[in-house]
Amino acid sequence: MKKEKLKFSSFSNSGKIAILFMILLIFMAIFSPYICPHPYNLPSGSPFESPNRVHWFGTDDLGIDLFSQICYGARISLSVGISAALIAGIGGGILGILAGYYGGIVDKLIMRIVDIMIVLPDLPMMIILGAFFGPSIKNIIFVLAFFSWTGPARIIRSKVLSMKKENYILVAESYGAGFGYLLFKHFIPEILPILMVTIIKLTSKAIVAEAGLAFLGLGDPTSKSWGLILNHAINFRGIYFTDFWKWWVMTPLIAIIFLVLSIAIISRDLEKILNEKL
Amino acid sequence: MKKGFKFLIFIMIAAMLLSGCSNEKNVAINQKEETVAKEENKEPVEINLQGGDWGYPSPYTHYSRGPGIFKMRLIFDSLLERGEEGLIPWLAESWDISDDGRLYTFKIRQGVKWQDGEPMTAEDVKFSFEYYSKYPPVSDDLGISENNYIEKIEVVDENIIKIQVNEPNATLLERFGTARIIPKHIWSDVDDPTKFTDSKAVIGCGPYILTDYNEEQGAYRFEAFKDYWGPKQKVDVIKFVPVSDSLLAFENGEIDLTGITPDVLSKYENTPQYKVLESPAYWGYKLALNMEKRPEFKDKNLRQALAYAIDKEELVEKVARGAARVGSAGYLPVEHIWYNKNIKQYDFDIDKAKKLLDNKTYNFTLLTGDSNPELRIAELMKINFEKAGINIEVKSVDSKSRDAAIKNGDYEMALNGYGGWGGDPDMLREQYRSKNREKTIFSGIPGYSNEKINKLCEEQLHEMNEEKRKEIVFELQEEIAEEIPQIPIYNTTGYVVFRPEKYDGWKHVFNHHEVTHNKISYLEME
Repeated sequence: MKKEKLKFSSFSNSGKIAILFMILLIFMAIFSPYICPHPYNLPSGSPFESPNRVHWFGTDDLGIDLFSQICYGARISLSVGISAALIAGIGGGILGILAGYYGGIVDKLIMRIVDIMIVLPDLPMMIILGAFFGPSIKNIIFVLAFFSWTGPARIIRSKVLSMKKENYILVAESYGAGFGYLLFKHFIPEILPILMVTIIKLTSKAIVAEAGLAFLGLGDPTSKSWGLILNHAINFRGIYFTDFWKWWVMTPLIAIIFLVLSIAIISRDLEKILNEKL
Repeated sequence: MKKGFKFLIFIMIAAMLLSGCSNEKNVAINQKEETVAKEENKEPVEINLQGGDWGYPSPYTHYSRGPGIFKMRLIFDSLLERGEEGLIPWLAESWDISDDGRLYTFKIRQGVKWQDGEPMTAEDVKFSFEYYSKYPPVSDDLGISENNYIEKIEVVDENIIKIQVNEPNATLLERFGTARIIPKHIWSDVDDPTKFTDSKAVIGCGPYILTDYNEEQGAYRFEAFKDYWGPKQKVDVIKFVPVSDSLLAFENGEIDLTGITPDVLSKYENTPQYKVLESPAYWGYKLALNMEKRPEFKDKNLRQALAYAIDKEELVEKVARGAARVGSAGYLPVEHIWYNKNIKQYDFDIDKAKKLLDNKTYNFTLLTGDSNPELRIAELMKINFEKAGINIEVKSVDSKSRDAAIKNGDYEMALNGYGGWGGDPDMLREQYRSKNREKTIFSGIPGYSNEKINKLCEEQLHEMNEEKRKEIVFELQEEIAEEIPQIPIYNTTGYVVFRPEKYDGWKHVFNHHEVTHNKISYLEME
């Protein structure tokens, strides 16, 4: 149970690259107003400039710089992904702890809700809810969180269940330790690494889902998320019979793939490292 | 390592889902094209067009946009038909208008049969018009349910019908001519026509019979009516098939005609395999303002400021890719025969807009559909509106919800695109006169009333002298341009491409932009 600091060197090579890429992307997202030479929402060139020195990734149909859009889109993708995953992870975690610790009717109630949520096909439901609540980033985060909390809830519940049978917990309980004491002293330190891995996994799921919803036209229509750039590009009539797809479709697509890939690699490595420790 | 693989596969699947099935389709194109080429020159002629659900094609149940209306019109004939130059005799062989403009006499063609074998007579015409006064159809050409101008309909004999109206009206010939004739023996006992979706509801005397309709898929199949009285059908079967991307479907040979943008024009131009037609600019977008919901719009300065703050040239260049004409502030598009070019022009000018706004700022919600051009127009308009001090929140919904919201007046500003801008100038009256009750998707400005415009609208309607009417319409356009109660944005021209080897009969009628939306494209006209 000794706390050990995560070391960068304990990641595999691909993990290191992934972390560097993530740092770069986060940097790009946070400082996009300073590093982007062009505005992300105003035309700065003529329509459909192929990648050149002024517009590194070219421009879209309105003449808006694609590099700036990708940078700014990283903000949306990351913030949607991370906040949806955090809400789902923490909310699901709390429910999981409650279910695991109290058992009985609380457990049954929570687990039946989880069952119902698992049975619901999430993509169609997300599309319906997205259409119902109207397109906005807040709603997307809410909808994504609403459909992702079951995973962490189940994992945490089973962890708490198994921990409850451990001797040191039983001893602590026999000395009169209450839920609060156990929670902060034992459960949370034990659960945190697992929760972290789940949240990271959820992040990539949420990013893809956000891109997917935006791609289907359920995102905020004037935002510049990656999914929406793709949506506009693919809905441009006859895009594949022109050259425009080479930069207009490919840049957001590659950005999404790289982001999701690096999150996946990081979570894989993290899982490995933490498993060894536990 | 196994886990890593799983992730890789997952990501690849995600990537494939995101990139669409485009690659697979591209591969399939070449193979299919060959098979299509081989199957040609086989009778009967069967053409496939882009589908989509536009309602059951009876006059009461189709959807009130072009693709719904023309499907219904394939089944139902009218007294006159739209030809390439103007109205041509159809069910009516000839007609006569009395000098005072109040008596219309139509000579109905003999030997016309309904698709169920019954003969069509002047009684059916009388019945149809009377029925429409009780139950207005979706595409209400007569418009007599609100204000019945018909005083008397008299069937002189089997083939002659006389219609007496209460006052002269310049649009009546077209109205009588385009109202669909429905069979008396079927509709006489129908009390709720919007619920009547029996197979009998789609029996007309037009050139095509509906043989199949699938609402979910948006698929239709029309077959030539053997006992049709009129010109022989050149196309035996017209099918509307569901497609996702019309251009890909055209390349695939799934459909035989599609609209294209100038970006891909070079691919089809000067290729003997294809033929390209340019469409007249009779389809357009406008910005509708709801003055009932936001009385601020009653301020002329605000409306003019909005008009100045829309960079229409930029929209034409970027969104329409050049294939459009800038909208005229007087509504009638620049290609309209009665377009008045001396009206007030609103060239893009942010400073003028700011001056007109006088440092006031506004916040509005802009309702749009979810198609790409609409979103792009909204985006560019938003940028320039904000420069002028008008903040816009864009709300996009699917096009049918947008239409419903517009019909119910549930919007502040709405972007709306539709056809029919090339029609009779009486549409100015439909658009701009004050209306209380009846609202449509396309016309009517909630809360707007201008006495001079109302007066001119009525005057042109009752002026039977063409020259004088033209003068009134010109004046009306000037007035409308000055007032600018709604803002026409642009009228698309666009191109359609088809394979002449498969079918080469596509024509434009005098007032419409779509070659597929008229009857004469499918018939053997001399």
